[in-house]
Amino acid sequence: MLRRTAGWFDTRLGTSAFVQKALTKVFPDHWSFMIGEIALYSFVVLLLTGTFLTFFFDASTSISVYRGAYEPLNGVEVSDAYRSVLELSFDVRAGLVMRQIHHWAALVFIGSIVAHLCRVFFTGAFRRPREINWIIGVLLLILAIFNGFSGYSLPDDLLSGTGLRIAHSIALSVPLVGTWMAFLLFGGEFPADEIIGRLFVVHIMIVPVLIIGLLTIHLAVVWRQKHTQFREPGRTEGNVVGSRLWPSYTAKSIGLFFAVSAVLSVMGGLAQINPVWLYGPFEPQQVTSPAQPDWYLGWVEGALRLVPPFDVRLFGYEIPNPFFPAVLLPGVTFTLLLAWPFLEQRFAHDKEAHHLLDRPRDHPVRTALGATTLTFYTVMFVAASNDLIAKWLGASIFGITLIFRILILLMPPLVGWGTYRLMKALAASGAGHLSEMPLAALTNRGADGHGAHVDGGKGHGAAGPPGDGHAGNRLGAPAEEARTPGG
Amino acid sequence: MKLRFARSGWAVKVLTALGAIALGGCAYTSNLTNPHPSQEPVADTPERGRVLYLRDCAWCHAAEGSGTGRGPDLISGTNGAAFTDFMLSTGRMPINDPSEPTRFSSPSYNPSEIEDLVAYVASLGGDGPPIPVVDTQAGDLALGLELYQENCAACHSTTGVGGALAAGPDPFDRSLIAPALTQSTPIQIAEAMQVGPGTMPVFGRDTLASTEVDSIVRYLGHLQTPDDRGGLPLGHVGPVTEGAIGWLVGVGGALLIVRLIGTRVGEE
Amino acid sequence: MRRQRTSPPGSGVALAFGFSAVSSIALTVVYGFGGQPQLEGLLLGIALGGLAVGLVRWAQDLMPGGGYVEQRDTEMGGPAQSAAAVRSFERGEQEVQRRSFLGKALAAALGALGLAALFPIRSLGSAPGTSLEVTPWAEGIRAVTIDGEPVRPEDLEIGGVLTVFPDGHLDAADAQTLLIHLAPGVYRPVASGREGWAPEDFVAFSKVCTHAGCPVGLYQPADHRLFCPCHQSIFDVLDAAAPIAGPATRPLPQLPLEIDADGFIAAGGDYSEPIGPGYWSRPRA
Repeated sequence: MLRRTAGWFDTRLGTSAFVQKALTKVFPDHWSFMIGEIALYSFVVLLLTGTFLTFFFDASTSISVYRGAYEPLNGVEVSDAYRSVLELSFDVRAGLVMRQIHHWAALVFIGSIVAHLCRVFFTGAFRRPREINWIIGVLLLILAIFNGFSGYSLPDDLLSGTGLRIAHSIALSVPLVGTWMAFLLFGGEFPADEIIGRLFVVHIMIVPVLIIGLLTIHLAVVWRQKHTQFREPGRTEGNVVGSRLWPSYTAKSIGLFFAVSAVLSVMGGLAQINPVWLYGPFEPQQVTSPAQPDWYLGWVEGALRLVPPFDVRLFGYEIPNPFFPAVLLPGVTFTLLLAWPFLEQRFAHDKEAHHLLDRPRDHPVRTALGATTLTFYTVMFVAASNDLIAKWLGASIFGITLIFRILILLMPPLVGWGTYRLMKALAASGAGHLSEMPLAALTNRGADGHGAHVDGGKGHGAAGPPGDGHAGNRLGAPAEEARTPGG
Repeated sequence: MKLRFARSGWAVKVLTALGAIALGGCAYTSNLTNPHPSQEPVADTPERGRVLYLRDCAWCHAAEGSGTGRGPDLISGTNGAAFTDFMLSTGRMPINDPSEPTRFSSPSYNPSEIEDLVAYVASLGGDGPPIPVVDTQAGDLALGLELYQENCAACHSTTGVGGALAAGPDPFDRSLIAPALTQSTPIQIAEAMQVGPGTMPVFGRDTLASTEVDSIVRYLGHLQTPDDRGGLPLGHVGPVTEGAIGWLVGVGGALLIVRLIGTRVGEE
Repeated sequence: MRRQRTSPPGSGVALAFGFSAVSSIALTVVYGFGGQPQLEGLLLGIALGGLAVGLVRWAQDLMPGGGYVEQRDTEMGGPAQSAAAVRSFERGEQEVQRRSFLGKALAAALGALGLAALFPIRSLGSAPGTSLEVTPWAEGIRAVTIDGEPVRPEDLEIGGVLTVFPDGHLDAADAQTLLIHLAPGVYRPVASGREGWAPEDFVAFSKVCTHAGCPVGLYQPADHRLFCPCHQSIFDVLDAAAPIAGPATRPLPQLPLEIDADGFIAAGGDYSEPIGPGYWSRPRA
């Protein structure tokens, strides 16, 4: 049966050669290489649950009356968008759990993209020939953030509506073209009625199509270039060692899909998220406190709160305050992110191709810069909840904000310097793992800046010198069960 | 002694100075605490209100309610029966240290003692509103939601969990909070609205009709047992706690899972 | 991750799949009885989780695992191939270069079409025009609450605040206004020309924050402050709502008030300056 089907396709498309190569393709098994798949499978969950939601959501701001099980709003006039989400949450079987799985999946999707980005960054996997995939990855991050924001703004509730007001003001703040940008994007002065319908089209069609397209290229490039791997016995710049796609890697990967969707399902059922019926429908003269966006925009929100009050005035024109934290900062952030592989090639004088990964200690400057950057954005992100922190600690909001302003200037360089020293000490000590490094090693500075050569073939990937771009395994005995393709 | 201290390191000197300041501060604040804290019950006579007042309140608010440096007068503005009943029944008053902000806590008096104190304070001359009559069942839930969102949600949050207010801008000012409303009784809610305690605006009898008050109270009662059919409410504060759980449980859980599925360096 | 096995190989896998199936059936039963979010999530999670555990255990314990080796193409492509591709392209391109006039005409036509194709973007929204500079408030227009009720001074106690709109323009979000009743004698007009703007101790400011546009919904009468919950700007009501903390740089515009002939509170004109957040060509007062 299988033979006949395979033959049927093969005579029409010539697929057998490709299939034969594909089934025996080797993928390295390290656990950190599966973080990208967490993001991929979260996206699949988003597509599946999202499709269900589109059958119920009404992307219109026309007024209608909600009649349903939620008593305080029963008989009340609200927008169609808000009404349809209320109905989905209270009056459609399994509607609420689908909504909640969808929203939790969005948070985990973007979180796992960030975790994946960190893994790629700290192991130097973005180096030649993988710059293309790095750029695609950063673009995917931007698209995912945008889709998250557009998604939770759809229900037209008070909390997300406040966020849309801020978005309109941020568009206004762009020099020269800001007013036109805001009016054309939204359809007029805030609150323009068209915005919900437009966000709906962007959210279910434009951005998902872009994400699917870029994701496909992203995976195709990994397929073509083969995955990177850590330095271990048997691994060289010229090979890939791991499991075959069929059957074991496929089984594990599909297993991971079920595991990720299981976690998201349990969260969707047990942990309430975005209870829009408690926030109430959006009214432009109402507001709630505290007011924060979803976590992946927390860094922009924190920047808006921390940046001191200043405008820029030139020749009778003005660049208002929100431009700097909400347009300039993200612009610089993503530009630097996109440019990073090329910046590192220039400043580290390294244009070689690399298929073996660094450990963080092998490139202490990169690791320290990454730690500095992460600290900077994390402090900003935590600062977005300054009002909640003030409430929980019984402190003045302005005391808390002042502390964050000090922290954001002090902590990144401190963490960077500390990370640099730690990585040098770790490399010099020759310890296999951070937990095995004696504390005394912290006071040693690595004499030549390179990791010590350790007796090869011994357990946890002892590092050779970084930048080892040539084939040839320096690390001792070849892998015990090396099998050749086709075997 | 003096010579030895003069030669000791700068750290010792600084710490000693700080200690002296702390002690001095304690001495200063102790001047503010109630000199007659007493838990002894007072006999239930027609004079009980006045006796309790003179024992527990007069040292801050003065014998005739005209106020001192430690506490405001009880006659001007919205002072009267409702204000007094609100402060006593929510445990905000009496307070041992007037420099502390007032906080919701358990009342220091039983209901009949509160009644007597209220009557006495009201007799001092304040013409603020009387204790309101609230009929929760007569309120309309939908109207209550609309009015709550319009007037109350900005400070007390749409979910009624309260929020931080603008203390400062001196960063060392004490915090100012719009409290959570999860444990307030209908009468306390109505009293607070009509009296505007602390830094709260006044939503008085001229602004909101009694049916509107009843409706807000009814909606708050609903918020006190909120419809959390989605699961664990995570504090009812929205994206902050949701993001924390998303990372800890969602991303963290998934990372744990891939750690179990994949290999570590050195394993096959 | 091979472990010592005391039970038949694959029994753990089968058990996991069994749990999953049972859970799926339970899920359909819950759904049939009307559904319940917590049970739905939990049962779906177990159903999916059982499949996950089974598949992963199968792969790890029973399938041949890692250790396979595949060679890389350490040199992708190559200069000869690359040059050949470029030559093929250039051969075709010569056809265009030989007819340079036609090429330029094509470019001009495509450019014009491209430019024309951008024009429908203009249909997406109205021109900003002066809409950011004006609101429906004008001399004599009464202040009404969101229910459309006009306001008399007796309707708002000292220390009270109401959100009001211009009569007949309840949907004008840019006209949302804070009407505040101050204690007698507290208000002093800060800017010249605003002497009559606060009759009978009533004062009015735009509710739209001048930082990023959120409604400045928190009023603290005890210290006469307006507090915006979005980014924590504070405005001092007694100082013409000037910002005293937070990222806002401009005061909340003030609305002049008057008491009309029937005793209702009305506007004495539009705001002192354009409301809301800043923009490039915002007119300076």
